[in-house]
Amino acid sequence: MKHRAGAGLRTLVLLPVLGLVILITAAASLAVGYAALPLDQAFADAIAGRASLPALVLLELRLPRALLGALVGFSLGMAGAAMQGLMRNPLAEPGVVGISSAAALGAVAAFYSGLSATVALALPLGGIAGALSATLVLFVLLGRGASTMTLILAGVALNSFAGAATALALNLAPNPYAALEIVFWLMGSLADRSMSHVWLVLPLMLAGWLLMASTAPALDALSLGEETAASLGFDLTWLLARLIGGAALAVGSAVAVTGAIGFVGLVVPHLLRPLVGHRPGKLLVASGLGGAILVLAADLGVRLAPVRPELKLGVVTALIGAPFLFALVQRLRREAL
Amino acid sequence: MRRVRRLPCALRAVPVAAGLVLAATSAASAPPERIVSLNMCTDELVLRLADRERIASVTWLSQDPRNANMADVARQVLANHGLVEQVLALKPDLVVAGAYTTRATVNLLRRVGTSPREFGVPRNLAEMRVQIREMAALLGEEARGEALIADIDTRLDALAARRPARPLRAIVLRPNGFTVGRGSLVDEILTRAGLVNIAAELGIESYGQIPLEAVALAGAEVLVLNDTPDGPPSLAHEVLHHPVITALAGKLKPVTLPSRLWTCAGPSVIDAIEQLVAATEPSR
Amino acid sequence: MAIVAQGISVSLSGRCVLNAADVTLQPGEMLGIVGPNGAGKTTLLRVLAGLLKPDQGSVRYDGSSARELGRRALARRVAFLAQDGATAWSLCVEAVVGLGRLPHRPPFGGESEADRAAVANAMALCDVAAFAGRTFGTLSGGEGRRVLLARALAVEAAYLLADEPLAGLDPGHQLDTLQRLRSVAAEGAGVAVVLHDLSLAARFCDRLLLLDRGRRIADGAPGEVLGDQLLADVFGVTALRGQRDGTPFLLPWQTINQKGSPHDGA
Repeated sequence: MKHRAGAGLRTLVLLPVLGLVILITAAASLAVGYAALPLDQAFADAIAGRASLPALVLLELRLPRALLGALVGFSLGMAGAAMQGLMRNPLAEPGVVGISSAAALGAVAAFYSGLSATVALALPLGGIAGALSATLVLFVLLGRGASTMTLILAGVALNSFAGAATALALNLAPNPYAALEIVFWLMGSLADRSMSHVWLVLPLMLAGWLLMASTAPALDALSLGEETAASLGFDLTWLLARLIGGAALAVGSAVAVTGAIGFVGLVVPHLLRPLVGHRPGKLLVASGLGGAILVLAADLGVRLAPVRPELKLGVVTALIGAPFLFALVQRLRREAL
Repeated sequence: MRRVRRLPCALRAVPVAAGLVLAATSAASAPPERIVSLNMCTDELVLRLADRERIASVTWLSQDPRNANMADVARQVLANHGLVEQVLALKPDLVVAGAYTTRATVNLLRRVGTSPREFGVPRNLAEMRVQIREMAALLGEEARGEALIADIDTRLDALAARRPARPLRAIVLRPNGFTVGRGSLVDEILTRAGLVNIAAELGIESYGQIPLEAVALAGAEVLVLNDTPDGPPSLAHEVLHHPVITALAGKLKPVTLPSRLWTCAGPSVIDAIEQLVAATEPSR
Repeated sequence: MAIVAQGISVSLSGRCVLNAADVTLQPGEMLGIVGPNGAGKTTLLRVLAGLLKPDQGSVRYDGSSARELGRRALARRVAFLAQDGATAWSLCVEAVVGLGRLPHRPPFGGESEADRAAVANAMALCDVAAFAGRTFGTLSGGEGRRVLLARALAVEAAYLLADEPLAGLDPGHQLDTLQRLRSVAAEGAGVAVVLHDLSLAARFCDRLLLLDRGRRIADGAPGEVLGDQLLADVFGVTALRGQRDGTPFLLPWQTINQKGSPHDGA
């Protein structure tokens, strides 16, 4: 009981602490930029409704960047934790298994065909369609509880295919700039995003989060295996539908507006798992918050680093995440022996 | 016959090349009759100065009216994609290319004896005049070249008279967030239109990227947007439609200039200056 | 009040696994399901637990079908202890046992007093309270099995179905587990276990159900079901029989070759 009480207290404190860190990082994100901005004046003008230049920069450039960073980070973190809970494998993550690049392909198809110029919603829907197709392919091919190696190999295949198809689509796009823009789609960036992007994806992401969060008790039960989970009253097909749908909504719309930012859903759940007693259900929201912090912090790093032209966000997360993945694979191999 | 067939492709071009060289040396003073241009900007000059019958081919880019200024005439001529086989098949007696045309193509053409004449990007109007004269001489149309330059100078003088007493502060925004700084042709265009280029003040040389934040906070009075209207979508163009730009357009005087007016340093540059002057006139 | 399954037929991958089998599980009794490999024991247990829908036949829980009850109500009424015993994540023991309360907890509710009491009770019954804070993966096989049994007991269900709960356990733990299951039955739950060990089945179960190749062969007291003739026909063995403290026991002794005569020597 003492132990349980201790763990319970820890979880109770964890979420508010993470939330506080998000606020601090977001505030820092508003304060950092490319040009000196008189923040106090900008805030005052913004609140008063005066459309001065500093207020404009704050509301139209810095605010969407911070908001989108938090939203995208939350989506990627939660989706990573959800996939790991479902597949019972700590290496499952939208980037590693190829869902993010498939989402990028869907978004590219919607954007460069001109479809999203007519119907703005076509952009995130394209991303969602891509993410959904990849997730379905994964589950049809692998089933649940697939071995780590099978999972990674499937991810390599999906990533290669989606990357090549994206390059092809950009090559065929009528605009000569298009062929150079692949770096954005495959490496991700928060630069030059606007509030219209935020409004475009917010409802879709929210729906995705709610769907994924609703699977928390089922994921906990799944730790004991599929039969036991079913015997505890959980419908596995409905669980799969909610999880796949939720992850596709969240990841698909995130990638559609910021490109594919990888490794967030791998690193964050792994770091936070011990803090929630290794319970997959509790990890969902915690990973979302942690993901928001990671992306905001990485975006701060991108703007503060004295590298020009500016580093892509996905580069920073990959520099952190890829060694992490290596270390994780090594540890899993050792444990298996 | 059988021996000729076994020769590699490049060597088979030798008789053609030899013929060309002979033709070139013997026809030193005769104007070229089959002109091939491999660069969009040299296309424009060639289309303006030479008779259509003498032009064998221009690049496919010049046939798009959104990107090029002489698209109507260009469409009456064969298009090329800058490939060596296409060039050789046209049997040109003059090939012109840009300084940034693919090196591999240029080198290969040199090796088969069809040396392209290369034209760089003029950094100001004086260099532009020199280039026009050079091209005119090459094409054997010196008279037309002089006429073009005279027309340019006349229009420049007229525009100079319409310059404001106090120069307005302006900033240029191009696709992908690029702006133009000191020592570029566009910089001179702004100056001639009676504008001060803020990017030059910020220390940007030639072409460089400027973050949207800096554009907003630069204290400009005129915002020059360089855009291809109704162009196919790209992220580069999306930047130009960012809400902050739309909001700024309400505060500053926006001038949207089609890219084609100053993508190439040619006579349409004067059109650009004219549009800038006309757009900023009422605000004085 | 009972689980009543009638005419259960199941085909898996084109093979007929169960053929018109009937079984009834009463509260307060311990039913052992025995039979040779491939007899369909595990399949039958899964059908009883509601995990597998039979191709033909019906299962009624205290008079209602699974559909009428609904998933959660069924989960509260029937607890299932699966054969494999791993957890995917490094959960602590208390958390593992706590998972048994999921059918009782509202989707996003926290633990209630009843939940905590049930968990404590289950852990005490299985003698794992001392491990409460330890990670499940650090326990030995026997200890882990006890924790999983505690998880099943935490459900406080009217019926407990266990699929080969003795697999891989050493003798001490085997006896332990069966004694615990007996006491659960004595408290009023209906317990059904799939067992391979005929001696243990005969000793600890009130009733036995003998299956062979998907058919119900016999159903009754261990003495009747494991008579010499049936042992010979179904398992192809003879057995030694004895008594100890008034409790009969049997020990499979020799195989019978196909012609029907016992082999010579030990």
